[in-house]
Formats: sequence, C-alpha cells, structure tokens
Amino acid sequence: MNYEELGFKCGLEIHQQLSGKKLFCECPAIIRKDAPDFVFTRRLRASAGETGNVDLAALHEHRKGKVFEYQGYFDSSCLVEADDEPPHYVSMEALETALVMAKLLNMKLVDSIQFMRKTVIDGSNVSGFQRTALIGYDGFVEVKGRKINVDSLCLEEEAAQVVKRGKDKDTYNISRLGIPLLEIATAPSITSPEECRKVAGYIGMLLRSTGKVMRGIGSIRQDVNISIKGGARTEIKGFQDYKNIPKVVDYEIERQLKLIKEKKKVEESVRKAEPDHITSYLRPMPGADRMYPETDVETIIPGTVEIDVPITLENRKMKLVKEYGLSEDLAVLALKFESRNNYSFEKDFEKYASENLSPTAIADIILIKAPSIAKKEGKEISIFKIKDSFLEELSRGRIALSAANDVLKEFAVRGKVEFEKYDLLDESKIERIVKRIVSENKGAPRGLVMGKAMQELKGRANGKKVSDLVSKHLR
Amino acid sequence: MEDKDFVQGKKYVVKLKDKSVMEGVFVSETSIHVFLKLKSGYNAGFEKKNITEYKEVVDRKISRDKKVTKKYDSKKLHKILILHTGGTIASKVDYSTGAVTPRFSPEDLVGMYPELMDLASVESKLVSNIPSDDMNFHHYNMLGKSIVEALKDKKIKGIILTHGTDTLHYTSAALSFALECVPIPIVLVGSQRSSDRPSSDAALNLLSAAYFITNTKSSGVYICMHENMNDEKCVLLKGVNAKKMHSTRRDAFKSINTKPFATIDFNNKKIDYKDEASSTHGNFSFKPFNEKIRVGIIRSRPGLAPEELKPYEKFDGLVLEGTGLGHFPIGFIDKSTEHNKEILSFIKDFADKKVLCMTTQTIRGRVNLSVYSPGRALKEAGVLGHDLDIITETAYVKLAWLLSNYSRNEAKKLYHANLRGEISKRSEVEEYEL
Repeated sequence: MNYEELGFKCGLEIHQQLSGKKLFCECPAIIRKDAPDFVFTRRLRASAGETGNVDLAALHEHRKGKVFEYQGYFDSSCLVEADDEPPHYVSMEALETALVMAKLLNMKLVDSIQFMRKTVIDGSNVSGFQRTALIGYDGFVEVKGRKINVDSLCLEEEAAQVVKRGKDKDTYNISRLGIPLLEIATAPSITSPEECRKVAGYIGMLLRSTGKVMRGIGSIRQDVNISIKGGARTEIKGFQDYKNIPKVVDYEIERQLKLIKEKKKVEESVRKAEPDHITSYLRPMPGADRMYPETDVETIIPGTVEIDVPITLENRKMKLVKEYGLSEDLAVLALKFESRNNYSFEKDFEKYASENLSPTAIADIILIKAPSIAKKEGKEISIFKIKDSFLEELSRGRIALSAANDVLKEFAVRGKVEFEKYDLLDESKIERIVKRIVSENKGAPRGLVMGKAMQELKGRANGKKVSDLVSKHLR
Repeated sequence: MEDKDFVQGKKYVVKLKDKSVMEGVFVSETSIHVFLKLKSGYNAGFEKKNITEYKEVVDRKISRDKKVTKKYDSKKLHKILILHTGGTIASKVDYSTGAVTPRFSPEDLVGMYPELMDLASVESKLVSNIPSDDMNFHHYNMLGKSIVEALKDKKIKGIILTHGTDTLHYTSAALSFALECVPIPIVLVGSQRSSDRPSSDAALNLLSAAYFITNTKSSGVYICMHENMNDEKCVLLKGVNAKKMHSTRRDAFKSINTKPFATIDFNNKKIDYKDEASSTHGNFSFKPFNEKIRVGIIRSRPGLAPEELKPYEKFDGLVLEGTGLGHFPIGFIDKSTEHNKEILSFIKDFADKKVLCMTTQTIRGRVNLSVYSPGRALKEAGVLGHDLDIITETAYVKLAWLLSNYSRNEAKKLYHANLRGEISKRSEVEEYEL
C-alpha cells in the first residue's frame, strides 16, 4: 500500500499500568481472577457535564439501562473502588513516575495538575467516571531519525475488568479498578503502520525504563487512531501486542477503502482489535463534554515534586554493549534480569571483571550457565547466594572459567560449594602431570596428548598453560 | 500577565513564555493560576506569570446550561410535593471554588429524574438552601410551616423532603414530634454520593420515596435511603429511630433498636413492610419548637472534668450521653477522682431546676440506671431515661420539643412516654446489626 497516496494519518495512544498501590487509595495493585469475596450491584445514570450537555458516548450506554454487578476482594478493593468513599491522596509514587515519563518524552509540564472526571457509564468504572489528569503536553520522541510529536501524557485510573456481558447485566471484577495508568497520546503525524509499530515499541521501552510499570499480558495496551482520505477517524482499541499493529491497520484501511468504493459513508467510531486482526464496532467517539473536574481531589502543583530522570533501557543497553563488550542479545537479557531482580550488572562488572574474567563471562554465568544447569539438574539455583564468592574466585584466577559448570552443578545439587576442590594447581604440579602423560604416550600425535592432559586437569589448570607445557615436553 | 479579565465560559487562545499556544474555555482562576478547559476536555492550570498574550476567540459551539422546563401530568391522581433544603441530593459543581456545593434549583432535580413523572404529578419548592449542619430549630419550624401549608392541598398524597445527610435524622426526629398525627407520609431523602455523578444514590432514594408515597396507606415521618451497597432496594426508617452510621457509604442510615419500617424495591415495584405503622390516629396539630430553648449534649469519657459541664448551667435541658448502661464518672475513689464529686453535684443541681436525661454512647441497647450504684445515684439525682432505648439525637430533639410545648413537670413525665415510636418496650434479638 502507498500510505502517502492514501493520505494515511495515524496517532497512537498507549496505556500503561503502574505497579505499587492504587492511584487514590491504599489498596495494592494486584489483579485477581479467583472467586470474589463480595459482590454488589449498581445502576448508572448519564449526567450533564460542565457545559450542560450529556456526552453522546455516555448516553449510548445509559440507553441500555443495564445493571452492573461488581466482584471484589477484601484485600485489594475498598470503599473507594466501590465509590462509597471519596478518593484519598493521590499516590506520590505514581505521580512521580508520570512526571519522570513526561521528562523522558521531552514534554512541558502543566503548572497545576487538576484531576478530571471522564464520564464512562459502560459500567467499567463503579463511579461512572474515570479520574484522569493532564500531566505533560507538547513533547516528542525521535524514532529512526523521525521526530514524532507527543501531544499529551495523562495519569488516570485503570478501569474494572469485564467478567461477563449479558443482556440485562454486565459483571465486572474491580481488583484492577483504580490501578494507576499512564496514557500517552502522540500527534497524528505517524506516516505508516510500520512506523506506528516502531513508535509503540520505543515508547514501551521508555515506560519500562522508569522501573515502575506492571508487567504481563494487558499491562500495556495500544490504541491506534487512523484516518485516510475519504474515510473517517477510527480509534482501534485493545492491541495486546504492538507487533500486530501493521496487520490490523492494513485490514482497517482495506475495510474503509471498500466502503468508500461502494460509496457508503464511513462513520467515526471506536473499534476493537480482534485476535484475527479485523476490527469490530465498539461505540461512537466520546467527546469533551464527558469531562468535568474531580472536586474531591485538590489541585497539585508539580513544581514541588523532585524528578530524577532515569537512563533509558536503550541507553543502558548501548552502555553494556559499548563499554563492557556484551553482545546485544546478552545485553537485552541482562536488562530483563536486572528489572526482575533489582540487580545491577554494571556494579559487578566494576567489582569482578579482571584479566581472568571478562564482563561477558560474568553475564554468561548468571544469565546462561546458571539457568541451563538448573534446568538440566531439575533444581533451582539461587544465584545471589553463590554469586559474590564465586565471581571473586574466578576474578582472582583461583578457579578456572572452565570449572564454572562443575561449580554450578555442585551448587545445584548440594546447595553449597567447596571452592577449594576447584582450585587451580600450581605450575610445578601441572608440569609433573604433563610430563608423565607425554612419557606414557610416546609417539602419539600432539592432539591426543593435549586431550588426555586436559581431561586429567579438567577445570584445574588454565588451557593455555597446559598447551604450552605439552609443546615444551614433546620437543 | 497581571490582572487579566477572563470571562467564565468564553474561549481563549493563550500564548505562554515558552512559546507554546494553548486554546481553551476559561473555567476559573486563583491568584497564581488560570484554569482552561482544553479541547480534549481536560482542565489545565497555567501560571499567570507565564502567560504573555491572550485573546478571546468566538466559538458558537460552547453550549450553555439548558433550562429544564417542568411538566405536569394533570391526569395522574396523586400529587407529590418535593420540598428542597439543599444537601448532596441537590449538588452541583461550583467552578469558582472547585467544590461540590448544595446549589441546585428545584426544577433541575425534577429534570434530572424524569421517572418521577410516571409515578405522580410533581410539584417542587425550595424551602431553604443551607447545608444540613447549619440547621437549627428555626429551620425545623420553617419546614413544619411549609408542610402545614402544603396539607391544605388535599390532592397532595405525600411530601418528599430533600436534605443533606449529616443531620437528616435530627430533622426527621424534629418533624416527627412537631407534626402530631400528620395525615400523610413525609419522607426525608438524602444522598451520600452527589447527584452530579452517574453513580449517585440520589435517584434510587428519590424514586423509592415517591413510589412509597403513591402506594402506601401509612402516614408519618420517614427517612428513605439505600438498604445496602447495591442500587436495588431502599429502607424506610421511622424518623425517630434512624442514625447516620457511616460517613461515606450509601447505606449509612440504620434503624437503631428497632426494625426498619419497610424496604422498597423500586425496580420490581414492591414494598415489604417490616413493622406496623406508628399510630397517627387523632387530630393533626403543628407544635413548633421554641427557638430560644437551649438543650446540650454532654458525652461522658474517662477524665471528664467538671469545668466542662459549667458552661451548660444556664441551659434549659441536658442530654447526658453516658457510657455503658448510662454512667458518668461520679465516684470518689482516690485523690485523683476528688473532682468527680463536683460532677455529681452539678448533675444534682441541674436536675433540680431543669431537665436532664441519660442516653448511652454504645448507640445500641437500653439505658438502665438500676444495675450499678453510680446509675442509681444518677437516677436519685433526678436523671431521666432509665429503661429507655432512645438514641441520643432523638433524645436531644424530644427534650427540646417537650420543653418548647409543655411545662417542666409535664415534659419530665412525657419524656418517658412513647410519643412517636421512639421507645420500644421489648429489645428484640434480631434488632442488633440490622
């Protein structure tokens, strides 16, 4: 497809859940799916917004006249989620993450943060609105040399999760309700579905760089706004994997082109990204009328919050590659391991890297060798228990790198290691053994002699040293 | 930018120091910030000192509040009068302060709940517009007079009184006493979550009250609020037995020491009566409060000092909210409790000249001044309330009302009489935790 000829315009909206506690209460951000501890039912009514108009999208849901059943858990949902208690203080952790993200997106900060109520009466918010605040505006990201404007960053509450939709009743699980959510919206200046995918990937990397995001399926979602000449603005919601964006967008363009060809009107709408890459109708586009101030939350002046901007994952990866000589693949693995374990490879590289032990070798032991031995032995290896003393031995050259697998195996099986067993032999002992093997194998080719020597000295002598001694005595 | 004149509801283009340009409708300002509602719907605050330029733009799309016109269906037999006193059920966002304030016109409420029109013809009237915490005997009389006035219209089947929830049960008790043998149902309705939000409890409370009025033979003063956290059923509580038991939940009002009068299932159009109606046979009479009467409430606690009682010397009546069965620190145990003598002597002196009654801060259960010696001493001193299960709020209102309408001796006698269902003779097992 020639996207330029089609007049293709595309904007991206990214929703990312933050870890920690909920935005307006002390409940932990834990999403549960097991049997609920309590259930309550509600009915929602459309109400007039600030300008006196009822929002069209809100009215659409009200006309359905539905009952909403909410399932909750005593440990992760309280009266705030049940909308039977006003919100508490905004989570400072979430607010700080939002401000950090605004900086990473090169945004301007609003001088005063005012939480708004965005009317949503499909039942996904018990209160009938989602609390949301504009944090930053007018930012940009640079992806593959192109500058993509980022219009807005909002901090908002995650909605409840649908359990079941029925004719008269929809059921929701409220454990997810109230989890802090960052909403990032780019300008419609993306020029191709492939570029859209790249921007989504890049912003996702920035989000993970904060170290405060939730992980797992559904913790990040992409919505794509697209339009083509003669078509209508369409919002495609619910991408679970940003890698599918190009395919889904192409299908949607084809759908609109078909309608244009048949001379049918293309309506502005919100559509859902289905698993088979097609889109289905969700509801009409919501308007600004559904926003009015959240009067239970006082305005916040962000100038008083200190912002410590982290190094992005991309930059940290490049550092591991350029400064420490890791391969890109190993660097990616290292960063994933770091975020899961609250650990820093750089610190250990600085501490243990030596002429005997390269940074790559350190990363290889922790990321590749240890997990593969653990798998092979069917045991768990708590690498942090052994890491420091093990790396110390290797770094000082007391143990050969070739003994690493044996050390890890012993640790996996016994839960402890006697490092002395693996100590390198001193030169005179090695020479004595090499001399004996040479005399026992008179006339044999060098390779065979070397093989026998290495087998006997396995892990206890440096390979190069053995090789040198074999050459010396064969002569 | 200093002292620029923004007009609320008008749209402006604003240039900032960092060269960015923002466009939005002016909402409010503080001394430091200007708040604009941006096209996206978000309100954003900009520091005035960062604004270099601003210009009004004409936007025909900005809509103003639409006036709701009342519609009456004269063919309907029943007529309901809605009397408004403000409160959360009639709340609107105040854009100048950013707070939810009771500031609604009665027409707005009827416009918001069109289902009311299916039940009866509705008339609505604003009595006063004050937060319920500011209510006093003067306002109870004002409400009483409005109701007396409304009773002249024989078509009125019942009255809904919208009211802030904080002191809703004081008002319901006050009207219960002041309106003797009221011939129609008077239902007080509040809401715990403001009516500007889609999840407000106001709609069900109001519609359930209206349904009750048009489908009952009972009369008297009631409170109609949510039965539990569900938007399914409401409870109808007798005006003298209800208490606000939660600061935020929609089912905050509970019946104390008695069963609720009825539950109303508006969605399935069913009323389930749990108790008999309090007797209202007799001639209606309005017995207002003497607005000069002063009654106080003193809550006992460990370490109560006699000085705390002194300011009440000139009051006409006192409610003592005792601990447990109805106790106050009046024992002389050691040096540190010496001043307890003064507490007892204050109580004795006050009871000699005025009227004093005991309730319990356990909320549930009955006062008994015969079990322990301090209780007996209080009873001997002339403290009323022995063997009664009146809640403190109702005791306060009842005492003030009795002193307004009867002599001291009559008031003392009548305090122990069950006038409006505020006293129950039996403490039933199931009443706890209802």
